[in-house]
Amino acid sequence: MGCCMLRLENVTVRYGRIAALHEVSLEVREGEMVSLIGANGAGKSTTLKAISGLLAPSAGRITWEGRPIGGLAPRGILKAGIAHCPEGRRVFPHLTVRENLEMGALLRRDRAGIASDLDRMIARFPRLGERLRQAAGTLSGGEQQMLAIARALMSRPRLVMFDEPSLGLAPNLVQQVFAIVREIRQEGLTVLMVEQNALAALTLCDRAYLLETGRVVGTGTGAELLASPHVRAAYLGGHAAAA
Amino acid sequence: MMDQALQHLVNGTVLGGTYALLGIGLTLIFGVMRVVNFTHGELYAFGAYMVYALVSLLGLNFYLSLVLATLLGVALGALVELVLLRPLRHADIDSVMLVMIGAALVLQNTEMWVWGGVAKMVPTPFVGTPLVVGPVSVLPLRLFVFAVAVALLVGFWLLLDRTRIGTAMRATFQDPQTASLMGVRVGLVHTMTFALGSGLAAAAGALLGPVFVVSPTMGDLVGLKAFAIVILGGLGNLPGAAIGGFALGYVEEFGAGYLSTEYRDAFGFLLIILVLAIRPQGLVAARERIG
Ligand SMILES: Nc1ncnc2c1ncn2[C@@H]1O[C@H](COP(=O)(O)OP(=O)(O)OP(=O)(O)O)[C@@H](O)[C@H]1O
Ligand SMILES: [Mg+2]
Repeated sequence: MGCCMLRLENVTVRYGRIAALHEVSLEVREGEMVSLIGANGAGKSTTLKAISGLLAPSAGRITWEGRPIGGLAPRGILKAGIAHCPEGRRVFPHLTVRENLEMGALLRRDRAGIASDLDRMIARFPRLGERLRQAAGTLSGGEQQMLAIARALMSRPRLVMFDEPSLGLAPNLVQQVFAIVREIRQEGLTVLMVEQNALAALTLCDRAYLLETGRVVGTGTGAELLASPHVRAAYLGGHAAAA
Repeated sequence: MMDQALQHLVNGTVLGGTYALLGIGLTLIFGVMRVVNFTHGELYAFGAYMVYALVSLLGLNFYLSLVLATLLGVALGALVELVLLRPLRHADIDSVMLVMIGAALVLQNTEMWVWGGVAKMVPTPFVGTPLVVGPVSVLPLRLFVFAVAVALLVGFWLLLDRTRIGTAMRATFQDPQTASLMGVRVGLVHTMTFALGSGLAAAAGALLGPVFVVSPTMGDLVGLKAFAIVILGGLGNLPGAAIGGFALGYVEEFGAGYLSTEYRDAFGFLLIILVLAIRPQGLVAARERIG
């Protein structure tokens, strides 16, 4: 494992006067896969939005390779090498599949590199390749999720953040999405993944953080959290032993 | 009878081209920025006055003046966006509407103050005798105006559909937050959108000013018509605005030709009432839009 790549120190984020994150601290090291788990409304998406610059922390520090990045615009964060694959897929429905992928590479200027990455995405997601000229809004939910993942990868990030990539997908597609996430991290990318599917998230990751009502209430390796009685009772419905 | 209908069809098409320009500018601004732009008609008047000033007062070449007037419209639009709209990015729609109504009043009264209330004529290099093709006759100036309007429409479509910045604009139109995650500077897209939309209005004014006369209140009716076109096509719907523009052109021409010239401008509004009653989402369904 490399050194600390991304670090949040006592980060507080507010929506108006209500704090959604209270002094959250976490870190992601180079090459790691880190999961962020928690119930609805725990603040998982808010954490990712604070990192990607969609929200500015009202207190605390966010550093990327030692450099403070809190309060930077999303464009600056993306340039630094962090991509955010948002909750609910959020493909551009009236753009074609190809245009969606090109949007992912908007900040890049290396035409040849973009073209070869596009070919790689098509090789990895053949269903997208067959539908390059189709409007993204006409894709199935699973195809849209693949497109959202591919779009995030088109920026050639060093850290990619997935927000509930398995949300609303049929079980076989959920397995497929997790297989892709595993592949991506085996290729050397650092991954921060938010999931409600705690069993899968904890099985896949190196380390995880447990978020409750905007606070980090637990952290450890995936195996440690899978074994924790609290996690088992609250997030795994008591069936963790089977994993 | 057929000959007369053909003539109305030609007139409607020629008029519809400039209406389409007006409508596309306004619907683009609404679609991307959610701003109900009451200054649109005034930018149309601004374009017309600029052509008048450049041609009649400075003695510049007519064609060059059209280009300059359009560019000045782009610049004025950018200024309005930067000074008035940017600080109101997160304000509610009511405040923005009030500010835009105020801006329209200021623009119109400035025109009145600078140019006076008397209507102006713009000299053109075109002859006043109509071109006659079979049963149809059309003034060369009007033909030129139509050709330029169509060229602008096609150019604008290419910009949106084929360029990087155009794709970024359409992405912002569909999902501003996700567009910003892709590295789009949403603020810059807003400024560009407003500037481009204003430029299209100024171009329409620069083209039609020489066809009719230039007066300080010319923006009022045109502003209303622009809203009519946008509502016809469906709010924020670009192809819809083009279709709405031509629809309004035809309704006005045929209404004036067969029913009453007096009520020419009323036919368009009658059409809106009909469309709103029967098909309130506009003539073109939202999912067919290219934005
Ligand atoms: N735009 C917003 N305005 C006000 N409050 C918000 C906003 N977005 C989120 N919140 C609140 O912040 C808290 C955390 O929300 P967040 O979306 O981060 O939760 P989450 O852990 O991602 O939940 P889920 O699993 O349902 O996606 C919630 O209480 C939510 O109601
Ligand atoms: Mg969430």
